[in-house]
Amino acid sequence: MAEIVREPLLNRKTAISYKTEEKTVVRGYDLGELAEKGYKFTDAIFVLFQGRIPTSNEQKMLDYEMGEFLEHSMSPSAASAIAVMGGRPMLPAAIAAAIMTFGGAHGPGAAHTYMLNYYLERALQEGKSLKEMAKKLVQEHIEAKHPVMGIGQPQHIYGDPRAIPTFNKTKELGTCGIYHKFQIEIQEELNRVRLEQGRKKIYPNMIGAGNSTLMDLGFSGLGGWVIGCVTRGYSCAVHAIETLKKRHAWAASTREPMVQMLDLSMIQYEGIPDRVVPEQQQREDYAERELEKGEWKKWNL
Amino acid sequence: MESVKKERKPFRWVSTVAYKTIEKIVTRGYNTTELVEKGYGIVDIIFIDFQSRIPLLKEKEMMEYLLIVNLEDGLTPNAAIARIVAKGDGYMTQCSGASVLAFGPAFGGFCALGSFMNEYLEKAEKENISLAEAARQLVAEYPTIKENEGRTTLGVSAVDLKNPTPERIFARAEKLNVAGKHIAFMKEIVKAVQDTSETPVALDMLGATTATMLDLKFSPEAAWSIVAVTRAFAAGCHAVEEVEREPKEVWGAALSPKENYDGPGDRPVPDLEDRDKVAVPNKKSQGDTIESWYRDFQQKQKMVGTGHAVVEEVPFLRKIRKD
Repeated sequence: MAEIVREPLLNRKTAISYKTEEKTVVRGYDLGELAEKGYKFTDAIFVLFQGRIPTSNEQKMLDYEMGEFLEHSMSPSAASAIAVMGGRPMLPAAIAAAIMTFGGAHGPGAAHTYMLNYYLERALQEGKSLKEMAKKLVQEHIEAKHPVMGIGQPQHIYGDPRAIPTFNKTKELGTCGIYHKFQIEIQEELNRVRLEQGRKKIYPNMIGAGNSTLMDLGFSGLGGWVIGCVTRGYSCAVHAIETLKKRHAWAASTREPMVQMLDLSMIQYEGIPDRVVPEQQQREDYAERELEKGEWKKWNL
Repeated sequence: MESVKKERKPFRWVSTVAYKTIEKIVTRGYNTTELVEKGYGIVDIIFIDFQSRIPLLKEKEMMEYLLIVNLEDGLTPNAAIARIVAKGDGYMTQCSGASVLAFGPAFGGFCALGSFMNEYLEKAEKENISLAEAARQLVAEYPTIKENEGRTTLGVSAVDLKNPTPERIFARAEKLNVAGKHIAFMKEIVKAVQDTSETPVALDMLGATTATMLDLKFSPEAAWSIVAVTRAFAAGCHAVEEVEREPKEVWGAALSPKENYDGPGDRPVPDLEDRDKVAVPNKKSQGDTIESWYRDFQQKQKMVGTGHAVVEEVPFLRKIRKD
């Protein structure tokens, strides 16, 4: 058997962990000892991201939140996993693609934190209460014509079914803090303004409820984002595996009873109409005319 | 439970880029088989796909040049990540695909730089100022562009002081008569950076490639994508060599020496029944007031690897802040 290389893959200073032949130590705690003593996976997540053992209620809250966030049926992440798996790469490619769909619109956890922190810091500098700063936040978002992050969901139009229970659970476990209070103030102020304008009430989504809860558990915006997105990776893996085992590769078969995702009839082209490719000897004149006419600019991406 | 509205049109993949039927694949109106049958090649089709036009021969020649000089650059992050992924013995697509992810605003910030250039070129036109003045302003305001946070080199650095290629790119663009306002502007940016730099700096590959691709009428996003994908060929090649020459990585084999670790010292795990006696809840350290939250937040920022010290720029917040 070939000798196993034990050299470090990367030489980096790190405050996260070290590993010897005997043990892996994270933030000072031996992972094996944590497991042996009956701690939960979510305890280890606290140790990893925050360097501390949580209280049992904090652990329960994270367990609750990761559990409810794991599956969301057909959201962009699951759709990506299914689409990628249609090409039959190795499974990790589909899972990675799913995790990478999280961005500015789908689960924008870190951005939500930056928003809350920015306004909390302003509240401190301007001597404003949470209620007053929530009013300012809503007003400035309305002026900028930007939706208030954390409220509203395109599928759950009467409120994300996970949001209110999350708020209730953090209250029940006593883990809610300043982020929770601020989030509630923001929602109330936004709905006050909307009702004044004769518009419908709008409900919290899982960023508003879930991310504020994670922040109150002491996670940073980025830490919370990693936890949320990677948790979703598990369920996206299931969707990918279902596609692998139960569906046709390519998702374009005309023999299936249901129209497939990539059935040719699903393509609706709205670009430049069909045109003849110029012969090579005419290409330069043709290309110059096309460049001059400028219609390509309309289509340039 | 409210059912989904029924009166809507069925889902379609709406596209202005391409369509296909049983018989043909059409991009921007051109049958792709007809294109290649008539002697058009990959570079022509890159133009057609991104810009919806057949390039002039001189544009095509310039683009060929750019793709070649950007294809490979040794063991840079994209090649390194492809090699690391290859150690897992996955499909080669995972290695090449992972290499694309190495591109960001810092490494390979073609989109960020191109967008700055366009923003300041537009400013020059609107405010009727010279390119030299716009370049001076860009360089002066550069450290305050928060979303950038000093991540791109602005196309001017000490990286390519001894590399003749960036200057040759511009020379070739001028020889082919495809150089336009972006190359002219980049030259002014180079002068403006040199005027403010205490150490020698020169046009680098990022600057030369971005300016030239923009003069070939690619958008900043297109330039970024094209170079990232081009480099993925080389990353794939590195991954192949890794497979050929190096051992696979055994799960759990790589050690991380304690000498490199500067986190909390070794400590015993408390017994589970004691946890609530020793664990300090976040609520306690965070407190109930905005002041106590802020003190705690500052404290948390000192602990590396938690993410509390990272403040990324969020475009909509920048708009709201107006600073």
